[in-house]
Amino acid sequence: MTRVLVIALLLPLAARAQLAMYAVNGSIETPLGVMYNMGNVAEGDTVDLRIRIRNLGSNSVTVTQFYGLGAGFTLDSPAGQFAMAPGTLRDFILHFSANTLATFTAWIQLNDISAIVSATTVIPPVLAILPGCSSPASLTIAFGPVNQNQSLLCNFTLQNPNTQPMTISMLTVTGQGFQGPLGPSVPFTLASGQTISFAINFTPSAPAFYFGTLAIETRSYSLMGSGFDLTSPILSFDTTSIKSSQQHQLIMSLPSPSPATLSGSVNIAFLPDTALVTDDPAVLFLATGTRSLPFTVNQGATQILIGGFSTAAFQTGTSSGRIRFTVSGPGISNNPTDLIVPPSIISLDTAIATRRATDLDVSLIGFDNTYSAGVMTFIFYSTSGQQLSPGAFRADFTSNFRSYFTSTQAGGQFQALVTFPVTGSTLGILGVDVNLTNAAGNTATQHLLFQ
Amino acid sequence: MRYLAIFLSVGFAGGQTLPKIGEMLDTAGSARPVFGVAGNFLVGAVDAANVVSEACSERLCLTKTASTIRSATGETDSPPGPAIFGLDGTTAIVYFPQTRTFARWHDDMLDPLDWVVDREVLSIGTNEIGASQIAVRRGDTVVIVTPDGAILDSLPSPSGPVLLLSQQVLFTDGDSLVLKKPNASELRFDLPGAISFSPLSAHYAEIRAGSALYALRIDAGREHLFQLPGSQP
Repeated sequence: MTRVLVIALLLPLAARAQLAMYAVNGSIETPLGVMYNMGNVAEGDTVDLRIRIRNLGSNSVTVTQFYGLGAGFTLDSPAGQFAMAPGTLRDFILHFSANTLATFTAWIQLNDISAIVSATTVIPPVLAILPGCSSPASLTIAFGPVNQNQSLLCNFTLQNPNTQPMTISMLTVTGQGFQGPLGPSVPFTLASGQTISFAINFTPSAPAFYFGTLAIETRSYSLMGSGFDLTSPILSFDTTSIKSSQQHQLIMSLPSPSPATLSGSVNIAFLPDTALVTDDPAVLFLATGTRSLPFTVNQGATQILIGGFSTAAFQTGTSSGRIRFTVSGPGISNNPTDLIVPPSIISLDTAIATRRATDLDVSLIGFDNTYSAGVMTFIFYSTSGQQLSPGAFRADFTSNFRSYFTSTQAGGQFQALVTFPVTGSTLGILGVDVNLTNAAGNTATQHLLFQ
Repeated sequence: MRYLAIFLSVGFAGGQTLPKIGEMLDTAGSARPVFGVAGNFLVGAVDAANVVSEACSERLCLTKTASTIRSATGETDSPPGPAIFGLDGTTAIVYFPQTRTFARWHDDMLDPLDWVVDREVLSIGTNEIGASQIAVRRGDTVVIVTPDGAILDSLPSPSGPVLLLSQQVLFTDGDSLVLKKPNASELRFDLPGAISFSPLSAHYAEIRAGSALYALRIDAGREHLFQLPGSQP
């Protein structure tokens, strides 16, 4: 009887020695001990502590008491007793959340083992998202659509709003497609009010939606991004025959319905054939008189709206060369589309012959898209229709034109006034034929009558 | 030879400036030169701001601000509000809708005229012999009258703007611009929503449709509608 009693008295001690509590972080177990500090927790955030109970002994143990008490803490403990076989373990979650700045404690009781767990609420560091990415919802960061295998870098700042220094021990980015943080290495300390910068790179490897997490101390932000496999928008025009000094319409569409609402810009540039000028400023979008227009395409649509319209008018300028269209924007691939503006003979917009007392003037307004104009031939006719001697009057103004084109850099358009001093009466001269030559050929005027 | 002409030399006097199309009134109320050739327009820097009306011809360009009329040579005080110009060489007939008064502009001066038109004046023009004509809306009809009220012509119930040009009339018909020629034939150009016309030069009319500006070439045989650059915000 006495022997039995001794054994009975020893049972609680044996059970106590068999059970142990641990704090589990990933694969690391740390004995909970008498005091365990969860550290700083951003006010309003919920942080979980995984508590692991192990039966270290060789006998089964019945857990008769397991609870946690403390403001801000909640323990997911089972109702009633439960048994633990030798060598087994069970995990339970201790949740903590509080909206006031203070240090909180919880009393954890496991049979006759007790521990105190504490957590301190602090004002969290302030995360700011710089332009390029957006925050469509609280604790969510959207990277927008990105073409597959291309990258979008989002920049952030992190500030300590507290009056005390703040040590940042956790700054991680997880999730396929997201790389970072690029910048500081943890741990680091932010002085009161101090701000640091870091970046996260998003590189989708396939057309899909991507999700990740940015963890800063106890606060987590959802990262969202989408990868697309867009072929280039299809650029088409209202004509297949482009010439200088024309106005045409650009139309943009996608080969298949857009997987998301996308926006970007379409740009126009000019690459002249000649080395005399570097550009033709008249090659532009007419809506704004600029070389870039915004465009949007709605999710599920194939038609791209350019500046809100289905088409965009542009000018072809007065130079031979290539009009180059490019598109840019997240999720939009960028394959230039070139329109060839071929060299052409001099085009005359206006040709006027004017008579003065002792001079004859020939005014010519037009353009030479080859920048090679200069040679002109004039044949004058009398009122009787006879060609006046000495016949064809040839002049070469090539250097004048080159100087003009080079100095104005305004395309191939020109206004030329050619004056012929006359000895004798000009009244007997009825008209003139003008022939202008450039690298593409000859241009002859109608028979110009002197006015 | 009966008409002796000896060409001593040839001088190249041009090429130093861009060809100028005319002067436009942009959507921000600024007068700006337009350079280039048909279909290739370059808009220059602002010549004048806060302009409410403008008209240009070969020899004259007048801009109306809130209270003045400006030319290349000066400016003169004028009745308030917009103005309708009828350019004629180096002079102009001007109508001020707010005060319903006419005046003759010349040499940066305004001489009041005693013309009275009791309906909406749409445009002022000059015929081939230099006589003034006025386009007036009378109910559903637009008539072209002399200053003393004699009816010269009528237009088929246009509801939009009207512009009297040299021997031509520009008006709207539904979604079209209509250019009525001297022989009464008509050329039509698709352009919905035209709300105002003004002379850009002797060769072009400026048209505002919504937030866009257009230039209609009116030279006989070369009529064409173009869009002007930079006309949308």
